[in-house]
Amino acid sequence: MARFFAEASDAVAVELTGLTPLRGGAIQENWAVDARFSDGAFAGEQRLVLRTAAPTGVAASLGRLEEFAVLKAAFAAGVTVPEPLWATDDPEIMGKPFFTMRRVEGTAAAHRITRDPALDPALPAIAERLGRELARIHAIRPPRADLAFLAAYEEVGPTQQIAGFRAYLDGHPTPRPVLEWGVRWLETHIPPLSDPVLCHHDFRTGNYMLDGTALTGILDWEFSGWGDPHEDIGWFCCKGWRFARLDREAGGIADRAPFYQGYQSESGRSVDPRRVFFWEVLASIRWAIIALQQSDRYMIGGRAQSRPCADRTTCDRVRIRNPDATGPGWSAEWCVIYRPDRRCSPSPATCC
Amino acid sequence: MVRDLPTGSALLALARDVLLNDLMPLLPPTAHLEARLVANSMAITEHEAISGAAPAQRILHELQELYGERGEGEGEEGLVRRFACDLRAGAFEEGEPRERHAHEILWRLTIVKLRNANPRFLNANGLS
Repeated sequence: MARFFAEASDAVAVELTGLTPLRGGAIQENWAVDARFSDGAFAGEQRLVLRTAAPTGVAASLGRLEEFAVLKAAFAAGVTVPEPLWATDDPEIMGKPFFTMRRVEGTAAAHRITRDPALDPALPAIAERLGRELARIHAIRPPRADLAFLAAYEEVGPTQQIAGFRAYLDGHPTPRPVLEWGVRWLETHIPPLSDPVLCHHDFRTGNYMLDGTALTGILDWEFSGWGDPHEDIGWFCCKGWRFARLDREAGGIADRAPFYQGYQSESGRSVDPRRVFFWEVLASIRWAIIALQQSDRYMIGGRAQSRPCADRTTCDRVRIRNPDATGPGWSAEWCVIYRPDRRCSPSPATCC
Repeated sequence: MVRDLPTGSALLALARDVLLNDLMPLLPPTAHLEARLVANSMAITEHEAISGAAPAQRILHELQELYGERGEGEGEEGLVRRFACDLRAGAFEEGEPRERHAHEILWRLTIVKLRNANPRFLNANGLS
């Protein structure tokens, strides 16, 4: 590892002074690496993160070299991300591909961010900033030779996602009427395809770092791909990712207004609430199915399989590791259904 | 069958209380998440034991009502599966009363699940 760092940075020698596993990361392993570079552009002490695949991966996740390419594209586009440094798939170094990036300070703990009263006054501004960050991500558009490995939007659009949901439900041992109802609504309300942009696909509270009130990095790019820009907006706002503050519709941290305003100011494009609503419903179904998949991993693999993913899981059977949660993440169905005494139509109305 | 008191669910509640309030402070912080996993497993088991089969029976009854004669004699899983298939096919979209009835069942199904998994969430949101 030290030799790899030295060669990659043109240093004569590198000494590793610390290697600590970082918490979180159900699908990827993240390690805090402290290293002393003898000379070159990185001379001195460096605080890095090494990211590699955990034993329990998921098919939807990009490979590490691909994620590294996306991170580089985002960094070049001015998105606030940890600076990507080096990547390799040389099996001689640690037996699997990995990449390194600079370590950024702060916390990504969603329950802390959504609950800490000291943060409250700053949260609208943070939401506005996140809207701007998302707009910068969406400024990356196909075709891109450096991102040629990403599936074409026509292969991963809403119709294909709905088919994927149904295929999963067909193979699931327990019937899920609420999810069927939600998927049916999606099927009958698919909006026309828009010009695709780079979507983060997991842009939400819990995947950005705050150092105090300063945004230090957007994390976890493993699900990135081409998509509708409203897809990321719907994911950020959906009920499943509001944690302790269901009432704060933008990621549990603020109203939608500052988030949308930041996005619109930076992108020069309007947010279409109807499209957001569609993608928010889709986000809820996607989230519910991820929750069921996490449960499947426990049911099929037992404790050994569920442990690595349990910190960030969403199903009642697995999320028991997260007892402080008062958010809606305790039933796969909760985020999909709405109260029967409220009308739910394809409008920007809140339907909880 | 005659069972001694306290009941199994009361014992679970007691054990959970001991775990969270007496043992947790003695555990190293690195073991707290694991201890909470145990505590929450106990809570879900306790809620399920208390609620018993009644919530599922109520859902079954409502589905039988929805389907009328066609639902008679069908077991819970069969009816729920049929309900799921019909929802996929848009079978309740032809008129307001049936659609509303179907939606009320979906809502109650969700509340039943949350009552076991996280009653605190229901209480906090006025849905208990």
